[in-house]
Amino acid sequence: MTTATTPSAPAAGVPRIVLADDASLFRAALAELLERDGCAIVAQSGNADELLDAVERHRPDLAVVDIRMPPGYHLEGLRAAVRLRRSHPGTGVLLLSQHLEVAHLDELVGHTARGVGYLLKDRVTGPGFLDAVRQVAADGCAFDPEVVPLLVGGRSGRRDELAALSPREREVLALMAQGRSNNAIADELHLTTRTVETHVRGVFQRLALPDEAEHNRRVLAVLAYLRSARRATISASAAADSVDLGRNPAADDRSTASP
Amino acid sequence: MGEAPGGAAIDGAAAPAADHRRKPAASMTGNGDDLRRRYGVPALAVVGAVIGAVVLWLSDGGRDEDTTSTLFSGLVGGLYLLTGSVTHLRRPGRLGLRMVMVGISWFAEDLQVSSYPVPHTVGMFFRCVASGCLVHLLLAFPEGRLRTRTERAVTGGVYVFVLVLVPLGVPFYRSLTPNLLLVANLARMQDLLVDSTQVVFAVIVGALLVRRWFVATPPARRVLAPVYGVGLVGSVASLLHPALTGSTALLINEVAHLATLGLPVAFLAGALRVRLGRTAVGDLLLQLPQMPPTGLRHLLARALGDPTLRIAYPRPDHAGSDAGSTDGYLDADGQPVTPRPDDAVTPVRRGVRVVAVLLHDPALRADRHVLHAVTAAAALELDNQRLAAEVRAQLTEVRASRVRIVAAADEQRRRIERDLHDGAQQQLVTAALILRLARDRLGPAPPDPELGVLLRRAADGLEAAVTELRELARGIHPAVLTEAGLLPALRTLAARSAYPVQVVDGPALPPLPDQVAATAYFVAAEAVTNAAKHARASQIHVHARASGNRLLVTVADDGVGGANMNAGTGLLGLRDRTAALDGSLVVRSLPGAGTSVHAELPLEGS
Repeated sequence: MTTATTPSAPAAGVPRIVLADDASLFRAALAELLERDGCAIVAQSGNADELLDAVERHRPDLAVVDIRMPPGYHLEGLRAAVRLRRSHPGTGVLLLSQHLEVAHLDELVGHTARGVGYLLKDRVTGPGFLDAVRQVAADGCAFDPEVVPLLVGGRSGRRDELAALSPREREVLALMAQGRSNNAIADELHLTTRTVETHVRGVFQRLALPDEAEHNRRVLAVLAYLRSARRATISASAAADSVDLGRNPAADDRSTASP
Repeated sequence: MGEAPGGAAIDGAAAPAADHRRKPAASMTGNGDDLRRRYGVPALAVVGAVIGAVVLWLSDGGRDEDTTSTLFSGLVGGLYLLTGSVTHLRRPGRLGLRMVMVGISWFAEDLQVSSYPVPHTVGMFFRCVASGCLVHLLLAFPEGRLRTRTERAVTGGVYVFVLVLVPLGVPFYRSLTPNLLLVANLARMQDLLVDSTQVVFAVIVGALLVRRWFVATPPARRVLAPVYGVGLVGSVASLLHPALTGSTALLINEVAHLATLGLPVAFLAGALRVRLGRTAVGDLLLQLPQMPPTGLRHLLARALGDPTLRIAYPRPDHAGSDAGSTDGYLDADGQPVTPRPDDAVTPVRRGVRVVAVLLHDPALRADRHVLHAVTAAAALELDNQRLAAEVRAQLTEVRASRVRIVAAADEQRRRIERDLHDGAQQQLVTAALILRLARDRLGPAPPDPELGVLLRRAADGLEAAVTELRELARGIHPAVLTEAGLLPALRTLAARSAYPVQVVDGPALPPLPDQVAATAYFVAAEAVTNAAKHARASQIHVHARASGNRLLVTVADDGVGGANMNAGTGLLGLRDRTAALDGSLVVRSLPGAGTSVHAELPLEGS
């Protein structure tokens, strides 16, 4: 899944990023923010086609994509993101949107939570944004804090794979899903980093995750978390996946050029 | 007999019209078809008169003064021929033909009186034929055609009797004049059979006539009166005659003769004095008030005897214009009316206004009085129907415009939502981002702490504005509805609700028209809001499913109930919206039994 160009851990090296947003003022400001943080903006694009071209050319670590783009301003960014995740698994995709929807989350994440993020657009001004960028660029995941209540709110309290977790472990897992590091989680919950590490290990054990590198296990834990929340909200993800196939055959042709 | 009993008589009214239609050019030009229809019956009467003269000459020698004289017989037959012709010329139809046929059969029956063997033998075959024709005439009077199954059956039975059974008995009847076909003599038995059969038929016919009198409307009774009166006198006289003796018997016999003579005149009187059409108009007047709106055409068609009759209404913008043209005429459903090539067009007026036109067989013009009477009688009802058709058209238009208004409002909401997201919200986010860049430059310890606080307050304000704008946009029109559909939108609604709302799992919905999806969503959203606010429910269920050609949305809670749609909730407006899409919205809420809001929306034709 990972390629040689992708760093294996957050903050290792300079993340190479492609920005896609049709609002040039916002794009420029976002580029400045990321560059000041030590990221390299290798390309900027104003629509989905330019985005796909730029990713194909530059093979970046991350594409930050606005969900609505020309020409139709109707989920073009989401469609492009889903295609990118299939054709370029080494490139993380961070989708920004003015509002969050479970249906879009399902379509975006699909079956793997590696290298994917879904945030409200105004999170760019918040403290966790740069963390999230580096997580997704490093094949991790980052989901908006609002996604979690959205997923849980639609549930009807049935048993699922998270039932075995203690309340504290759930809290930790929810923050992991936002792309927080252990230190950030410790700050948020006013715990020591060691305690957080214990909770994280507890989560891994209770979810019976295979004995892999911690980074991969974090992703799997979050995916289990999303999956369990999603199951309650309907089996729409499968439908969304199948609907997505062949939605834009021309773009799919282009994506076959990837090595 | 000229026609088979039963079937052909039913079609009597339709047949002339159908004949006519085959030759459209024939309409008012008076060519062969018209001539035949108009003068065919008088011509037949002339032939009948010639036959009658021959028969009277042949049978003169065999007359018995006690029964019928040549003069009397000639008078009766001739009167039928004459009155039948006059009836036919004054009022085209089948009645004149029926009367002429009675005249001809009357003479045919007389042939058996002849003392020459050949005419006598031939005449034996026709010895009862006049009674068959007379029964047909009586039952068909005054329209000239049989109306009920019973009448047709009785007439058919009589014809079979006089044309088949009686002739079969000819070789077995010895009479005074030699019967050339005689095989054996069963005359007495035959007389008994024929007499008793005639009595049976007489009773049946009498019963039918009595019943007709009692069910007839007063105008119809006026038509029947002369025939019934003369017939009654004749019948009573005939019945009394055998029981009397002497001068009284002679007197009664004269009365019976006079009644026989008077009967054809009574038929003519009935037909002429109160003509058929007026009976129809009388019936029409009586039936109009009880008529269902769709029955008017049928009623007029029956009154005028033209089953092909059509009614058309002027377009609202054509009212009162040239009545002869059918440009701009519509039927009751608002569809344009195309006249057939041979249609005659009769305008129906109220005052100067043409309220409708009748498209009909031109033959009806032969009886203008009836046509005028019928149109006059129906004018009011036709005007009502025209107004109803107009209202229907307007209602259709209003409905369509209501749907368009809903669609336009939805489109406007969608546009506002997008403008908020892609315009104002985008710019606020950009401003917040630039502000963040500025604050980042200041570093964690700004030279002026006050400035740091101000910038933080500005950032907080921007963040609050963005959040508020997002909620505003969602309230105006949830983007997920257009982006992902009704069920995801309902799930989002449930997830965002502060109360436990469960969207019931179900099969996937078919593709929904935008307005249907939006209406269903807004109904659910309003119902959930109301339940959360007032119901004190522990659980709210939202269920959307497609059934047949409808989308059903139910929002049910287990709260205190007692909700009222009219108590100022937003559901009232949503009921209008649902109605605009031809759907329905029902609220069931009993105190203590929870509240359920149920919307049904058609998936097609909206």
